[in-house]
Amino acid sequence: MTTSSELNMPEIAMAEKEAGKWGMVIDQDICTGCQACVAACAMENNIAFVGEEDSGYGRAMHWIRIERFWEGEYPEVKMTNQQPMMCQQCGSAPCEPVCPAFATVHSMAESLNLQVYNRCVGTRYCANNCPYQVRAFNWRDYKRPEPLPNQLNPDVTVRRVGVMEKCTFCIQRIFKAQDQAKAEGREVMDGEFTTACAQACPASAIVFGRVDDPQSLVSQLKERSGGKTHLKELGTLPNVTYFNGG
Amino acid sequence: MIKKIFDWLKQPLGLIAVGIVFLAVFSAAAYGIYLTQQAPEQPVPEFPHQTHVAFGIQCLYCHPGASKGPAAGLPSQSKCWACHNQIQKTVDSAKLAPLKDAVINGESLEWIPVAIVPDFVQFNHRAHIAAGRNCEECHGDMSKVTIAENPQVMNMGWCLDCHIEAAGEDQEKLIKLSDCGTCHY
Amino acid sequence: MSEQFSRRDFLKLAGLGAATTAVLTGCGPASRYVTREPYQEMPEYNYVGQSTYYATTCRECAAGCGLVVRTYQGRAIKTEGNASHPLNLGKTCARGQATLHGLYNPDRVQGPSNGDWDAAIQLVADALKNNKPDEIAFLMGMAPDHLFDLVTDMANATGMNAPVRYGALGMFEARATLSKAAEALFGQAGLPFFDVGGAQVVLSFGANFLETWLSPVSYTRGFAGLREAKTKMRGKLIQFEARMSATGGKADEWIPLRPGTEALVALAIGRLAAEIRGGSMPRAFSSVDPLDVAARSGIKLEALEHIAEMVAHSSGVLAIPGGAALGQSNGQAVAEAVLALNAFADNLGKPGGVYLSALAPSQSDYSRPASAREMQEFVEKMASGAFKVLFVHGVNPVFELPASLGFKDALGSVEQVISFATFPDETAAEADFVFPDHHGLESWGYQRVVTGTSLPVLSGAQPVVSPYYNTRATADVLIAAAQIAGGAFAEALPYTDEVEFLQTKVSALMNEADGSFSALDAATFMAYFQQHGGWWKNTDSRLAPASSILNSNIDAAEAEFAGEGEFFLVPFVSPTLAEAGANKPWLQELPDPTTTVMWNTWVEINPETAHELGIESDDVVRVISEVGEVEAAVYLYPAIRPDTIAIPFGQGHTAYGRYAENRGANPANLLSVHFNASGDLAFAGMKVKVEKTGVKRPLSRLEGLGVYGGEGIELH
Repeated sequence: MTTSSELNMPEIAMAEKEAGKWGMVIDQDICTGCQACVAACAMENNIAFVGEEDSGYGRAMHWIRIERFWEGEYPEVKMTNQQPMMCQQCGSAPCEPVCPAFATVHSMAESLNLQVYNRCVGTRYCANNCPYQVRAFNWRDYKRPEPLPNQLNPDVTVRRVGVMEKCTFCIQRIFKAQDQAKAEGREVMDGEFTTACAQACPASAIVFGRVDDPQSLVSQLKERSGGKTHLKELGTLPNVTYFNGG
Repeated sequence: MIKKIFDWLKQPLGLIAVGIVFLAVFSAAAYGIYLTQQAPEQPVPEFPHQTHVAFGIQCLYCHPGASKGPAAGLPSQSKCWACHNQIQKTVDSAKLAPLKDAVINGESLEWIPVAIVPDFVQFNHRAHIAAGRNCEECHGDMSKVTIAENPQVMNMGWCLDCHIEAAGEDQEKLIKLSDCGTCHY
Repeated sequence: MSEQFSRRDFLKLAGLGAATTAVLTGCGPASRYVTREPYQEMPEYNYVGQSTYYATTCRECAAGCGLVVRTYQGRAIKTEGNASHPLNLGKTCARGQATLHGLYNPDRVQGPSNGDWDAAIQLVADALKNNKPDEIAFLMGMAPDHLFDLVTDMANATGMNAPVRYGALGMFEARATLSKAAEALFGQAGLPFFDVGGAQVVLSFGANFLETWLSPVSYTRGFAGLREAKTKMRGKLIQFEARMSATGGKADEWIPLRPGTEALVALAIGRLAAEIRGGSMPRAFSSVDPLDVAARSGIKLEALEHIAEMVAHSSGVLAIPGGAALGQSNGQAVAEAVLALNAFADNLGKPGGVYLSALAPSQSDYSRPASAREMQEFVEKMASGAFKVLFVHGVNPVFELPASLGFKDALGSVEQVISFATFPDETAAEADFVFPDHHGLESWGYQRVVTGTSLPVLSGAQPVVSPYYNTRATADVLIAAAQIAGGAFAEALPYTDEVEFLQTKVSALMNEADGSFSALDAATFMAYFQQHGGWWKNTDSRLAPASSILNSNIDAAEAEFAGEGEFFLVPFVSPTLAEAGANKPWLQELPDPTTTVMWNTWVEINPETAHELGIESDDVVRVISEVGEVEAAVYLYPAIRPDTIAIPFGQGHTAYGRYAENRGANPANLLSVHFNASGDLAFAGMKVKVEKTGVKRPLSRLEGLGVYGGEGIELH
């Protein structure tokens, strides 16, 4: 077996350069909190349902969730704009350096935060260190009674107990589109594919694409004024930009 | 308590006991591993790959998915039977009776895959064919075997060795081909 | 760590244990022993390892959105919206996504309850033949689909009772009231279409159009259009309701008026706006006194004036009546008063205004689902023994109708009840026979799109996978039974099967001009119909007749409330589960958009009120109406009037599979039988009492730390 230094492997990245590759823009002003994205994500990514009791313990495995907050008191009460929250695919991700098993690593090729299920030993350090709290842990082997497994997506690994998981930006769709484009001898076009959440969203509040391509829709939307990234002060360099309208 | 156990284990008798237990476990494990390396019993017990290859049938004729997508696939029974029912020898052959019965009764043959990767690996045949790999580089020379056998253990080191070789001096390609996310998601 | 058991020893022992475990279990991946079955015969449109996509229609609600379903080796993997379908333009709601959990639900009805389809068809044939036509009744779901047409054809030819369509969503939407109000506005019955996307200021009186109302995907797209400032200013939404719905949560201004005063408030705004604008006072607004309305509704006069200012001066004002506002004794007056605001804003038939929805292709007039009063008449006929045989398809009336209507008891007076249910629901449990239909993704069909798009759309459905269980299309069962029954039945349905029936109906559209596609022969037309997921005309066919509503009198009395109790009751449809989602596990695990509660029923109470009553979060309370009571845990809801409580509808099943059964409570058990002038149930016209039970049962919810103790998501 050859070692990594002999092979001239790239150093494991603790910090990524500022611009990511894939990114999202979310318009909270038109998000209605309808949960279509949450359901679409669960169906695409083989996410297990955990039942009433475990979800009461906060073990529900939503890769994307919709946050809403209350402001003021009755009758001047206001629901803040819904905030879909998923893995922000940080350029400098706090989850990555704390993984003792190198299961939470940065993809240099796609500029995404990966979760390698077969390496994960379930220390949950990454979830502890994630300021966005978007990681979900398989506390049990959540069973799908027959014939529910027929629905499982063959492009996504079915996770077992003791494994951490999180939003992947539908990496299987990225690869499928890249593979298709390569087979046809061209580049992936903007809008050719999108993530499950963005595809379902009835309000089109979620837009996904290449943030390193200034021509892409997501880049153009991102350049509008008023966008913000969450917990920017932590220096995580997230790749999801939020617009709060008005 | 635990100290007592260790003390007992350090006695000669204890050491022998440990040795016996270790040997038992080791040989059981070795036998288990040996079993996994045996070619499994297939529904058509002596399916002769070599004969098919000898007739000049291309791999992709029966496994066409390999050039199009992730799975190479198995030929449908009707595809097998379309040829075989035109050959008197195979129509009457006892060895092919399972196929004939399955076609007549509308039942399925249950093949046991030989070359497989674990669930957490997302393997794509198409990309490998497109990169100029030939079937036999991974699956061995089918003109020499009856039931398919794996010429090597398909583990990650084996995958990576080839990936790194394929990348050569191209840094960008190396990054892509050694990225965890390329296969695991 | 104790003296005897040092860290070093522990590591040694742990190491030995780990090594043993590794050796014993590490003999290779479990999938070493999988088997693979090739196709016996490869479908010609399939390819090894490649996904195949089919266009069909979503059957989770009656809206009729187009779907494209990804299938892989004969299994349905994922639903997406059909991007070319005019209603949903490639989008879906959560229920559309989770329809796969219905298809592969572990608790489906797996075959005919008598075990044999031939015997089942004979039984249906006997039921048709041996009873007088007017002793046979059909109760169907809300969707105006091919099966409804088939049964209607049968009824027309044989004198059988015309099929009745009903659904709880229609009841909570008060569709009969909307239709009646449209008649008052336009002189023509129909379902109004509100062009939210083109409006500037939307006044919504209880309309939950971002949740389950009429056509939620289409209205959500409209809402995005209202908000997005591309070609116009960002539009505003003002919501009038006693309990903040998920739609109200998106409003720029949420105005908690006293239940029952919606009509008065609408007229008062109209009057104030007319005064600001000057000129003659429309007759509709003339009799109302804004000061009095302010006092009765609990809205400050300044607030009314501020809204009237907007109505008077903005262009693109749109007023929408809906939801609980219509489900009251004065519901029809509410609808008319709100529609009068549109007439005042002069938006009828204009972009950003009100239209009458386009009729679907080959449809001559609007046929709405039955109102609650019509259902009461239906139940009375059942109870009197007028029906000897009742067929039920696509609806679960035992659960969806208020218990006080007595449907369940009346079933006992019908000699033979035959259910075509796909799932073992409460009605199927009461039926004599269950002859299960395929799941929607396994079925042929078409469905008329009733509202939500400007085009007339006939949405097409085809099986995306072959039936998983021993089920049979109800249309096929009826056609076969009609052949056996002979006579007028056989003449009414001269088809070999469902597909031939569909071809006959669909190919009638071939000669229509300006369609989304055309073909020269019926077979090609049908193939295109399946491929495109339907057929639609390319012309905007919404109607906009003139209106004289401003010159009519609107009797805007306050609503009357039934029962004694200190609280107004607002039952609302769960935005994620709706009426039939409770058996899909991932829908159960979706947090409610406003409360984030999962997997159960809750009672929303204002925190101040709860404090006064000594009720805390998660306390189980008993809600008592004049006809029933339900128990559920309390959710302290900051955006509800102190004199109002609210309960979601969708849970509380006593059957319907493992994920739905014995979970939560059904507020329909609280509803008593009172109607508004249009015959819709006054479901929001109840007053109820609340009692403590002394039991505490934590609600599973997304917000806050895990309520069971333990980990949870701390919303930062």
